[in-house]
Amino acid sequence: MVSADVLESLREIVGAENVLDSPEDLDTYAYDATSTWFHRPDVVVMATSTEQVADVVKLANEKKIPLTPRGGGSNVSGGSIPIRGGIVLGLVKMNRILSVDADNRTVTCECGVILQDLNLELAKSKLFFPPDPQSFLSATVGGMVAENSGGPAGVKYGVVKNYVLGLKVVLPTGEIVHFGGTTMKNVVGYDLALLITGSEGTLGVVCEATMKVMTLPPAKQTIIAVFDDLGDAGRNVGRILESGILPAKIELLDNWVIRSIEKIQPMGLPVEAGALLMFEVDGSPDVVEKETQGVVDLCSKHGAHEVKVASDPAEAMKYWKARSAGFAAVFGAAPTVLAEDVTVPRSRIPDFIERVDEICKKDGLEYTVIGHAGDGNLHPSVLTDIMDEAHFNKAKAAVDRIIESAVEFGGVLSGEHGIGLEKQKFLRRAVDEKVIDLMKQIKAVFDPNNIMNPGKIWES
Amino acid sequence: MAIPTPELKKFEKDVQQCMKCGFCAYFCPVYRQDQMEKSLARGKNQLVRGILSGRQELTQGIVDIMNKCLLCKTCVYFCPAKARIDRAVTAARADLVAAKGLPLAKRFVFHYILPNRRLFGLFLKVASWFQHILPGSGRFRHLPEFLYALGRGRHIPSIADTFLRQQLPEVLSPPAGVPVKARAAFFSGCAMEFAFPEKAVALVRHLTSLGVEVTFDKAQGCCGAAVYMSGDFETGRKMALKNVEALENYDFIITGCATCSSGLKEYAQYLARDEEEKKRFERFASKVRMYSEFLSDELGVPKEGYKLREAFRGKKVTWHDPCHLSRHQEIRSQPRDVLKSLEGIAYVEMPNADACCGLGGSFSIHYYDLSKKIADEKVQGILATGADVVATACPGCIIQIRDALMRHRKDIEVVHIADLMEPGRGALRVPPARTKVTAGKA
Repeated sequence: MVSADVLESLREIVGAENVLDSPEDLDTYAYDATSTWFHRPDVVVMATSTEQVADVVKLANEKKIPLTPRGGGSNVSGGSIPIRGGIVLGLVKMNRILSVDADNRTVTCECGVILQDLNLELAKSKLFFPPDPQSFLSATVGGMVAENSGGPAGVKYGVVKNYVLGLKVVLPTGEIVHFGGTTMKNVVGYDLALLITGSEGTLGVVCEATMKVMTLPPAKQTIIAVFDDLGDAGRNVGRILESGILPAKIELLDNWVIRSIEKIQPMGLPVEAGALLMFEVDGSPDVVEKETQGVVDLCSKHGAHEVKVASDPAEAMKYWKARSAGFAAVFGAAPTVLAEDVTVPRSRIPDFIERVDEICKKDGLEYTVIGHAGDGNLHPSVLTDIMDEAHFNKAKAAVDRIIESAVEFGGVLSGEHGIGLEKQKFLRRAVDEKVIDLMKQIKAVFDPNNIMNPGKIWES
Repeated sequence: MAIPTPELKKFEKDVQQCMKCGFCAYFCPVYRQDQMEKSLARGKNQLVRGILSGRQELTQGIVDIMNKCLLCKTCVYFCPAKARIDRAVTAARADLVAAKGLPLAKRFVFHYILPNRRLFGLFLKVASWFQHILPGSGRFRHLPEFLYALGRGRHIPSIADTFLRQQLPEVLSPPAGVPVKARAAFFSGCAMEFAFPEKAVALVRHLTSLGVEVTFDKAQGCCGAAVYMSGDFETGRKMALKNVEALENYDFIITGCATCSSGLKEYAQYLARDEEEKKRFERFASKVRMYSEFLSDELGVPKEGYKLREAFRGKKVTWHDPCHLSRHQEIRSQPRDVLKSLEGIAYVEMPNADACCGLGGSFSIHYYDLSKKIADEKVQGILATGADVVATACPGCIIQIRDALMRHRKDIEVVHIADLMEPGRGALRVPPARTKVTAGKA
């Protein structure tokens, strides 16, 4: 698929040291953070500038070679998998933060900047980028824009699309274009920057982003509420929001996750608890104090048999580290983990969790639920082993039913991970045929040769 | 013919833990320099998985990738799933060596020289005669490839005129009036024996002054870490048995080299032929102590018990965590406690104290440029402290950091923590060694 001529041209564009084609190199760009997908590209090209990206894309378009952009490769939907082979375009070397505008509270940076590094730099000006996908040590800005990432802070702060002001994009046909601008309010023609956000890398390569940032809250507090019953925990989420308190984060961990975290990194979590709710409230100190008390009172009155307020930032950090460890605990627990990303209306969380339990118990499947309870975005994960065909098929069937249930409860099948490869077969269930058709037409306008991350979102 | 992978199979569970989250990319000192997946734990893990699942064979290409690893365990430390890729990397090296043998120069040194202490000493003695011919900075030019790159433009220590076993008697007792609190064997390791004997002497003098009866049992040899971590498990096991046989009946085995203590403690993980031998190696490991670990945890030396060597009075001292001490043995607080107790110096914490220095044994030979870049980051951390002295507990780190500081033309001393200790009056008298190297400077 990639001839010697093309390889030579690629070497001329990015330098020979940035063109990787040994068998071992190809193997190490064949995966992302999903459990089951593995497909080698024909060549890996590491770009160091937007101009190089444009030249590579132009070449790919000319020769009709599939091209898969890749940031940190930490997405969990298959977005980074080069499922049609061709070129993997690695973007991690484009990692400069170009400017932090503290007055206007915006940042402009290249696509390969890791979220953690972005926040470290922003903190110097007492700013932060609120969306916090828990892959923040490997997720890059370009990838976050492409997947419209979310995280625990979504309940108060929203997701990446709420912060995108402008993008510099290389179109699949090789042109470099600017979408959007640098101001919060901007209605000048269609909002194509928003179209790109969440397009999973299928409409172009995001090379630079200008994004809104916020001032670091002066005060923060973490509260842990321990429940015997998962349903009770779920119901308290709605109660707290109705009372007018808007925590920055509301995370739900079930007993399975608690035990697994304790096994990997013992932190003194209550292993007998049915569920944990972890809250973070932030803002000015007096508001934080009031909201903390509000959370404590409500949870204590409605089913929590213990409520703890972190005594200092170190203790708070310990709990949030545990939450991050939960992600790892889930994925490390079985050879194959089918992690779902369904979002249901908040009020339906307890019912939905009960339904998940029913579905899995019926086939004797082990599962766990961890989630951003504040916005109804849950991650039920079914544990299985792709090598055990019978078990794997049962697990897949259970996942199907879980997703159907989410849609039945008025929810959606993917809150933040994207469709990619993982959820393609559900697309028709969630989106009207006419709408999918419109999406495909838009794709054809941007990418007439279908080279830009082909095979994602829908089969093509 | 597919290369069999019995060692890799032993660590299959460790490999399965990886969930490809990519967090290691943020911390791996090698990946941070070249940003290629194969330089990263996640990438190496996938290659190993491919081998174990039969998707591909173990090849020289893959082993080259496995050699591009410092075994610093920074990835393991930060991995949320605790996937211990270092074990798989070592095992992959071992499977290849078992099938294809070592490169000629390494084979020469590992099989014939390192295991035989007297021959090693003689070999180095002969080499040391030539060092006097060369310009005074002590660089080696004409050695087998294994040592060659260490010499290539590096500032490395001279071979001592008198080796440790020629300086120290077998049994060293506490000075008169000091009761015997413990009995221990001293394990010197090659660097201290042949290049830094004065540091070993300082360490042993300090221990005896605190009431430890130290036996420098000459039946000990090279710890074997360099050998088995390169994948030569067969020779490594022979060397392990030699040391275990010689020292397993002492109450404690104390060493001043982080790599040696980690090497001795990890025999059980890699080299045991069967369950019984594993138990023997584990029993042996349970007696091994690093110098500062012994001072803090076993002797419980109180703050007042430490006296500073006068040459260091008024200096600002910072501590570098050798990887083999911090992440391989979880020893972090003990050396800091010791340094903070030393009255007369100002201790300052390095921002990247536990970042790998970049030596990684033969990594620095095969990937010298990368190794230098990693060392440069360590230098930035040292300069940020404003320290006059960097203290550490690994001769390998000392060599690497000294080399890096000299390249940056910084006149900052790099010492072993034992160099800072004044053993006090009446302490063991050891005839001064006639070495060209004075304590603390190359």
